[in-house]
Amino acid sequence: MPSDKDWFDRFVIGLPERRLFKFLAARILVPFWAWWTPVKPLPGGPHPSAQPGDNLQCMMNLIMPLKDKSAVGRAKAAGAIAANKDQIYAGLNNVGTVHFARFVIVGDNICMFSVYDGDFTNYIRDFIATIGSVFNAVVELVEGGEDVIPCEHNAEAFIEWVHARDLYQVPDTATGVLRDQEALKGDKAASGDDDLDLLPRRLTLQLHANPNVSLGSGYRAYPGYSAAQIRKQLGIGW
Amino acid sequence: MDDSSVAERLVDAVESLSTDHKRGTRPIHTIGVGVDGYFQPSEAARSYCKAEHFQRPCVRASVRFSNGSGSPVQHDGWSDVRGMATRFHLSDGSATDLIAMTLPEFFVPTVDQFFEFARTAKPKPVRRESPWQKILDMLQLKIPRRNPPPGQKESPDAGAKSFADRHRFAQLAVVQTDTIGAPVSYARAAYHAVHTFIVTAPDGVRRPVRFSWQPVAGVCNTKATATAVDNYLRQELEERLGRWPARFMLMMTIGEAGDALDDPTQPWPAKRVRVVMGTLTLKNVAADQVAAAERISFNPCRLVPGIEVSEDPILRARRNVYEVSCQRRNGIPCPFNGS
Amino acid sequence: MSAEFDAADVQGNILRGYRKLRVRHLMLEIADRIAARRWLAASTSGRDEGIPQITRGSWGDAKPDSCFNIGLTYEGLQALGTPGSSLKTFPNEFIQGMSARALKLGDVGKSAPEKWPSPFDDPRRIHLIATIYADEVAQLDQVQRRALADGNALRLLGTREGCCFPDDQVHFGYRDNITQPRFAEVHDPQRYDDGQPMAPLGTVLLGYSTNFEGLKWRVPQPDALGLNGTFNAFRVLEQDVVGFEEYLDRTATDLLANPQVDELLPRGAEAKIASSRRAALRELVAANLCGRWRDGTPLALSADAPDPGVDRTKFDYADDSRCPYGAHIRRCNPRGGQIVQRVANNSRRLVRRGMPYGPAYDPEKPDRAKIERGLLGNFIGASLGAQFEAMSCDWLNLGLQDPRVTGSNDPIVGANDTETSWFDLPLKSGATIRLRGLPRFVHTRGGAYTFLPSLSAIRFLGAL
Repeated sequence: MPSDKDWFDRFVIGLPERRLFKFLAARILVPFWAWWTPVKPLPGGPHPSAQPGDNLQCMMNLIMPLKDKSAVGRAKAAGAIAANKDQIYAGLNNVGTVHFARFVIVGDNICMFSVYDGDFTNYIRDFIATIGSVFNAVVELVEGGEDVIPCEHNAEAFIEWVHARDLYQVPDTATGVLRDQEALKGDKAASGDDDLDLLPRRLTLQLHANPNVSLGSGYRAYPGYSAAQIRKQLGIGW
Repeated sequence: MDDSSVAERLVDAVESLSTDHKRGTRPIHTIGVGVDGYFQPSEAARSYCKAEHFQRPCVRASVRFSNGSGSPVQHDGWSDVRGMATRFHLSDGSATDLIAMTLPEFFVPTVDQFFEFARTAKPKPVRRESPWQKILDMLQLKIPRRNPPPGQKESPDAGAKSFADRHRFAQLAVVQTDTIGAPVSYARAAYHAVHTFIVTAPDGVRRPVRFSWQPVAGVCNTKATATAVDNYLRQELEERLGRWPARFMLMMTIGEAGDALDDPTQPWPAKRVRVVMGTLTLKNVAADQVAAAERISFNPCRLVPGIEVSEDPILRARRNVYEVSCQRRNGIPCPFNGS
Repeated sequence: MSAEFDAADVQGNILRGYRKLRVRHLMLEIADRIAARRWLAASTSGRDEGIPQITRGSWGDAKPDSCFNIGLTYEGLQALGTPGSSLKTFPNEFIQGMSARALKLGDVGKSAPEKWPSPFDDPRRIHLIATIYADEVAQLDQVQRRALADGNALRLLGTREGCCFPDDQVHFGYRDNITQPRFAEVHDPQRYDDGQPMAPLGTVLLGYSTNFEGLKWRVPQPDALGLNGTFNAFRVLEQDVVGFEEYLDRTATDLLANPQVDELLPRGAEAKIASSRRAALRELVAANLCGRWRDGTPLALSADAPDPGVDRTKFDYADDSRCPYGAHIRRCNPRGGQIVQRVANNSRRLVRRGMPYGPAYDPEKPDRAKIERGLLGNFIGASLGAQFEAMSCDWLNLGLQDPRVTGSNDPIVGANDTETSWFDLPLKSGATIRLRGLPRFVHTRGGAYTFLPSLSAIRFLGAL
């Protein structure tokens, strides 16, 4: 027995798909809630953990905005990578803990994505020692990069700079982002007076504060093994 | 209080989760379908678990798929947890069970908390959210509550949500239940055994593990916005198996010290070692559904040498709960192997 | 080299060991900033009355009867009123402090900072750790009295006291204090060639070249504060001697029933090790876990039995070395052996100054009550992140340096759990016997990251 009430209900259910509502949400609701209930951006990189499995095959998702936002700037970045192929390969082989590493240009950002074993700072530090010159050539083209090069003389600052540009890894589970936000506030309580309905808002505001993120810790075909273990098992040396 | 009276009370609590529960039926996962098939362990499985079904090339298997609801009325299309109970038939006539569901984590870590959960999550009359309330939700960047499916009068959702607001451990399971949906086929859902078990390898090494079934056909749900159909899952399975067998891959994840070994509410990180343990092939819907779907009684603690229960208190409690429940509905009591 | 090296500007415990019999660490809170600055200025005044004088690295032939050194935590530098522009030039791990780095150090479970006893339960209050070295308790007392004479400057939060055992033995019964990095710039008659490359001074002092080519650690600014300083990880490490010996008992019994035992210890070979076959297996396991027999003989040179004739220091890990890949000393310092992170060979070395605390365990007289015993360790290096932490999180635990040990923890000091721990005993054939069920033998009971300022820096802080 359709009635006016049903019509109104259907209209409201369809609201979020309407352009006016989307505009309102993006321009007014999100900024309002971000101001009223401020959210700190969660830190980038893998979640700190003492467990072995968590420290193997870690992800680095580095997004670095180029200074020169034109095809010329992008070409410069592409050129810097191409010119340093030997350095990069020799460095990766000798650092020994890297599964995959690649550079990507997306929308005037140069991105470096890699999967590595062990501690992040050790990984970057070993890299500075072996291919610091490549880092310098790339970071020179990046906004704010001049503060931390040459990286060999600014190792600590450089590592922090890289860490600050490593994407936050949204947990695999739906409620993980709540736990991360509690941890950031030092809230370790097992129970609280929560409102689970606020989960979508929490996630929205985190993505407002942290626009680029990695979704989940990523799929792995053979989790729990280091690059060297796989190389050894395959009989191709390590 | 002894274990058996705890089990009686637990079954009462489970029965109370659906107000139209009919005596003589299962208190939850009431409507199901029995399927015949066989399980072939992988080559790797042999070196991780000495249990017979991981050592022999092939064992016969019986599977019961089910809707999670304890209602005697069939609602295949409702958003609900689904079950997949598997019995592996061993050479000496004994058997071992693996009970799994589409919800990867459970609501509570202890029996006492389960009683509280059951009290809080007692079905209450569903209230359809008014359009004005929905607008208010949207302004607060909340997702308005979905309208209940036609015919649904009561629901545990509101109670479960208020329980989760007070207990963080329950939040993951509650959120997942809320969005779980309905599979297009029983053969197109992933099922998780949730609890941690301890498997023993032929060399004596013991490992904490969790099992999951992954459908070879892939996971696929019906559209959440489509109008729910009440009765299709059994028919779909008959048609599907008439054409071609359906298969599931059995995955075993190995936990590490520091993981939630005794807590079924906590997921393990995706970065744990994952072993392919074998493939289950489903041949046909069982001819005798009274035996294969109604009278058959599974038990998550019906295990064989090579697999043991962990310290998980919920898993341990389930042993007697399933026994009591089986007696109440005159199921076929299946004696524990060697006990 | 950027700075002219002057040992007189460096605190004395960094470059050489004092080899005193006793140590006392005083955990101190700065009570009043002005008085504390006066205290620091007085400790370097050269007038050896009142406040004890900081021992320098240039004591020459006349080693003082008692030695006195200090380290400051980040909170200590703050409490002294070090300018913010200066504070932010300190490395992150030091700013955060040891308790914030617990996951990297394996300080979890019973070792977690939340479980540490006073004064380490309130790490923000620990501002300064003063360390006294002497042979007699009376000397320790006397120096302590002088150090705390001005009650306005420093407030004593707690102390930890250690005492040497004969022959450089430590709990667990191993001989310790065998090798330390050697520096070309430092003449130390007690350190002779150990076959390892000389360590660049930047390994242990700020302002000098490090083992990484072209790479230097940031010197906290101004130079007067940072140069010739270094960092220290002070650790209170409880050792479960009873648990360790029981594990050896259990393992020896299991091994006796192992079909491969005759390959591990050929019939008759036990005579070279101990009086019985079981006792020999105990010692063999103990030696493999550590990489040295208890008398200090390295397995790399003598894998079948201890040999007082071999050089305890001069060895390397060749491909056919019979020192297990997972042995404690090999995990801490893989020397020139093959490791996954080839660039890191020799880069994570530390200066270690440790002394046992608590009574030695006597198997004839088992403990009646629970007695805490362990090691008071100073682990010194110019970069906590690149040396102490890097060694802890990738090598001691996790075992990333060698695919044959990855996923296992150090058998002696690692964050082991009986359910998952393992250790491979190598056999001559190249096969291994895998030991399991190693409990955690060493628990952290406190600690702090401190900055060990140069003498100039102490004067700088005193004049703030």
